[in-house]
Amino acid sequence: MSMLEAVRVTRNFGGLCAVNAVSFAVEQGEIFGLIGPNGAGKTTLFNLVTGLTEVSDGVVNFQGARLSGLKPHQIAAKGIARTFQNIRLFANLSALENVMISQHIHTRANVFDSILGTPRMRREEKMVREKAMSLLELVGLADRADDQARNFSYGDQRRLEIARALALEPTMLLLDEPGAGMNTNEKAALSDFIRQIRQQFDLTILLIEHHVPLVMGLCDRIAVLHFGQLIALGVPQDVQRDPAVIEAYLGDT
Amino acid sequence: MEDFIKQYGFLIIQMTFAAMLGLSMYLPLMAGQLSLASAGFYAIGGYIAAVMSTTVFAVPRGAPFPIEHLLMEMLVAGVVSAILAVIVGVPSLRLRGIYLALATIALVEIVRVVSLNLEITGGAIGIFGIPQPFNDKFSYGYIAFPMLLISAFFAYRLERSRIGRAFVSIREDELAAAAMGVNPTYYKVLSFVMGAVLAGMVGAVSAHFLNTWNSRQGTFDASVLYLAFVIIGGSRTFVGPIMGGLLLTALPEVLRALANTPDLFAAPVAKFLSDGRWIVYGVLIVIGTIFFPQGLITPSLFKWRPLKRWGLGRAKPALKEETA
Repeated sequence: MSMLEAVRVTRNFGGLCAVNAVSFAVEQGEIFGLIGPNGAGKTTLFNLVTGLTEVSDGVVNFQGARLSGLKPHQIAAKGIARTFQNIRLFANLSALENVMISQHIHTRANVFDSILGTPRMRREEKMVREKAMSLLELVGLADRADDQARNFSYGDQRRLEIARALALEPTMLLLDEPGAGMNTNEKAALSDFIRQIRQQFDLTILLIEHHVPLVMGLCDRIAVLHFGQLIALGVPQDVQRDPAVIEAYLGDT
Repeated sequence: MEDFIKQYGFLIIQMTFAAMLGLSMYLPLMAGQLSLASAGFYAIGGYIAAVMSTTVFAVPRGAPFPIEHLLMEMLVAGVVSAILAVIVGVPSLRLRGIYLALATIALVEIVRVVSLNLEITGGAIGIFGIPQPFNDKFSYGYIAFPMLLISAFFAYRLERSRIGRAFVSIREDELAAAAMGVNPTYYKVLSFVMGAVLAGMVGAVSAHFLNTWNSRQGTFDASVLYLAFVIIGGSRTFVGPIMGGLLLTALPEVLRALANTPDLFAAPVAKFLSDGRWIVYGVLIVIGTIFFPQGLITPSLFKWRPLKRWGLGRAKPALKEETA
């Protein structure tokens, strides 16, 4: 059984078909790359998987269960975490609070626990805080735990978003352009980091990336989208040589 | 001291109510929901107390009203407000920002018009001669002060809990909060209900306190005033709306007292302060919003070093234990 399976997933925005009957399957433990020119429908596809946008047609299955029709928070609870292309941190909150918030589904304290400060709630709070700190350490931001997220540099915000997503304890992680705005060295470090977290947290990773060397080196398999259509799917070496992909990227001159 | 309480006892209790009403506006705002419904629930709570105390709990004229009955009215007002808040909240919290504000203004108006026309609420005259549990107005402090302390403690703990974090995450970015597993609808309705319960209970006490209750209580004007408490006081910590409520309620009286202090101001200035104190009040609100756009009280105030030394500031969440 595939970890994530898209079956003829389609999304129309008015007359525009942003994602057109796209089918693919991501296997357990894989790093699966999604590439394509601007406007190809990559982020829309992410939004369809995480429930932020509803599918017009087709289904998305996760671990054999249907995701389409579920609300975003229900999909998150099933173990799918994501980052955003246009960083969506809780900007006015501290880095620590950002990471604490996404442990929401793993904590139980209700209103009465919270107000009365029951032992259960205190234990839980301590656990949440420690977990958040350890994730901040993992991404190298532990020394800035109390700083507001909006004061972080672009690269640090991206790393904080990954820490926040990991706090969900996902089985699948969706990274939307994690390397955007990074230089070549930083991108290489990011590749290593993504491999490391896959190993450490036993993750399946779906990622969108523009930077071809990064995608080629990092991903086990790649899907190429072009104007909402899947034009190629396979291991990086094959995809790279696919005439349809070359045409999409370079034009048919 | 006795003179002071005689003169300002009424005002002090009013300030306490205002602080709680500010807090009732703040709770939905914590989850980013600009709701103006507090005044409506305040009015409903007041009518519940007014009707109950003049019918089922009626006492002979002039006889003291049992406090346990007052507490029971508060409970009923709280429960009714909660139920109504769920019914109103579920559909209206689908609206965002200014549209939610408009929908909640509609609720306030509906409450006003309905109470103006129903027989049980006394129509335009309202309900008067509401029995008094205390001999003087300042004794309402026995109810109002603990109530303020409890609700402030409630907000304080809430801000530092999982629920409070869920609220704030929705305020910051609803979509991201949902993607991180927070159910936005549930927590928005919860914050709305909390605010409604508090406003309803304050209304119940207020009806006794004011002795009479009619449709001029809890109108649109009141909603906006409560919102001013939060905006002037600050909307990022529960201390803000409490301070806002206390200060803005005291301000007109302070201006009047200043004007009446002999030899403090020249006669024309004193006259202006006394007659035009609402003008001064309005100007101060405008100046406040310009110079303190985040309100007078912001969380960063509590990070001020001397405060920390006294153990009053926010504890630093640094960890001693090895977590790596």
